[in-house]
Amino acid sequence: MKNTNQLKKLISKFFVYVLLILFAIFMMGPFIWLISVSLMPGKNIFAFPPAIFPTFIDFRNYLEVWEYMDFLKYIWNTVIITFLGVTLSLLFSALTAYPLAIFKFKGRNFVFLLLISTMIIPAAAGLVVNYLTINAMGLINTFTGVVLPTLVSVFNVFLFRQAFMGIPTDIRDSGKMDGASEIRIWGQLMMPMIKPAVAVVGLFEFMANWNSFLWPIIVLNTEKYPLASALSFLNGQFSYNFGWIAAGTVISVLPIIFVFLFTQKYYMEGISGAVKG
Amino acid sequence: MGKIRTVGFSRFSEVQTAWLFMAPGLILLAVFTFWPIIFSLPLAFTNYSVIGETSFVGLENFKRAFSDIDFIASIKNSLLYMIIVPFIQIISILMAILVNRKIAGIKFFRTAYYIPVVTSMVAVAIIWGWLMSSNGVLNYLLMSTGLLSEKINWLSDKDTALWALMFITLWKGLGYYMMIYLAGLQAVPNDCIEAARIDGASNFEVITKITIPLLKPYMFFCTLISLMAAIRVFDEVFVLTSGGPGNATLTSSVYIYQQGFEQFEFGYSSALGLIVSFIIMFFSIFIFVFNRKGGVNPY
Repeated sequence: MKNTNQLKKLISKFFVYVLLILFAIFMMGPFIWLISVSLMPGKNIFAFPPAIFPTFIDFRNYLEVWEYMDFLKYIWNTVIITFLGVTLSLLFSALTAYPLAIFKFKGRNFVFLLLISTMIIPAAAGLVVNYLTINAMGLINTFTGVVLPTLVSVFNVFLFRQAFMGIPTDIRDSGKMDGASEIRIWGQLMMPMIKPAVAVVGLFEFMANWNSFLWPIIVLNTEKYPLASALSFLNGQFSYNFGWIAAGTVISVLPIIFVFLFTQKYYMEGISGAVKG
Repeated sequence: MGKIRTVGFSRFSEVQTAWLFMAPGLILLAVFTFWPIIFSLPLAFTNYSVIGETSFVGLENFKRAFSDIDFIASIKNSLLYMIIVPFIQIISILMAILVNRKIAGIKFFRTAYYIPVVTSMVAVAIIWGWLMSSNGVLNYLLMSTGLLSEKINWLSDKDTALWALMFITLWKGLGYYMMIYLAGLQAVPNDCIEAARIDGASNFEVITKITIPLLKPYMFFCTLISLMAAIRVFDEVFVLTSGGPGNATLTSSVYIYQQGFEQFEFGYSSALGLIVSFIIMFFSIFIFVFNRKGGVNPY
């Protein structure tokens, strides 16, 4: 009796792992294949049957694309755009969310309604007008012009609001007793308490900024492109040179995977707060 | 300036502090989210473009839109794209159930499933563009397992291109929704499930009678988000097919973009944007009402 039960458990565990591995191949396979393409310079990826696993390893594609495309410049552009986007977005979203969570004031419901209504508006419709606005501000071909339109997202504001609402009221009261100003209470007492939310918003903003390619193409000249824009440019220019494009794609993807691994331990906590409300 | 209440306290009243905190965020929203809507209203009734003089044309743009074969096709494709929404929910809930257990290596699998989410759509589009070409790996795998008898050029065949794009969108999004559902599953109290087990409920019954009902707010959230994403789909179409072949994969966002930034017909593009806004508004109100009836409120 005990033995059959254990056997049953073992079999079900086996099936779970088989399923997990099959899904992992489905989700990771394309990336592994990409890496193997990038490591085989001169190999035709459209040969039939295709080479799925590398038969030899050579880093020439990486060296060539690095040199030819001036990748360092594109990485630097991406880093600046992402840094500006993430820090300013965290700052403004957390500032906007704080009163909505803590204070009761006239017009609070109105602000709420405004925020929710933005979720209904399609992004594509605003593209032309935002271009005209950025142009009127003299911000064409600047990184500020790239990050400005998407700095405050309603999703982030709600996520922060939810996190602030979870902080016990005594903490703010104790800050007040010590005579701290509201901005100090916010920055020194409240913000450190909502690290999971900061990590999740930070990751989402990092993703959005690191990966954005359309708006930068509209606003910037080629030499100021971030990686994703440069990659779509590279793909159009050298579509015959698969090895280069594969190597460029791998280079552009690695940093963001690294950031995700770094923030993922806060991820679940932050996300469940956002949805439950 | 607000009156000074107590020395050492804030110089501003709470109301003023509240507005000061929100000012930068609200100003940005006003300029880059509300202004485009307000400004595109008058723009939609003009023939504003880079060439020629701008004049008021009344309802001309809207008349043109409803007889524009490409625009109608783009709306059709955008609506068709919503078919992926239920598939996303089903597959990602199953994935969440699969990874919601404490066994060795489970963190690795969760991370692996999330990697497509953090990757840029440009990179994903490049990879899948190669995999799906007529001499690509996908055809090879399908043909060697006997599922396919002859090569298909998935993204350049007008019968398969839109479906191929939908598949890529689905594949990239699964991990994101899986994580949200996983957060939901972990919020399900364990006693609930154990009590049901003691009462003799099967695994299947636990899932359909306890897990799924408790996941409802998460399903609402994910359905809304994935529906918005589907109807606004842009990146993968733009990078892989630009709406082609013909208008087989033209979606409304891509068409609005093309009219604005390739034809420079800003007036017409704004009118199209307004029409699509109304369609999106209709669907989101529909979901909100539907959700209200179900008695679930995530916010």
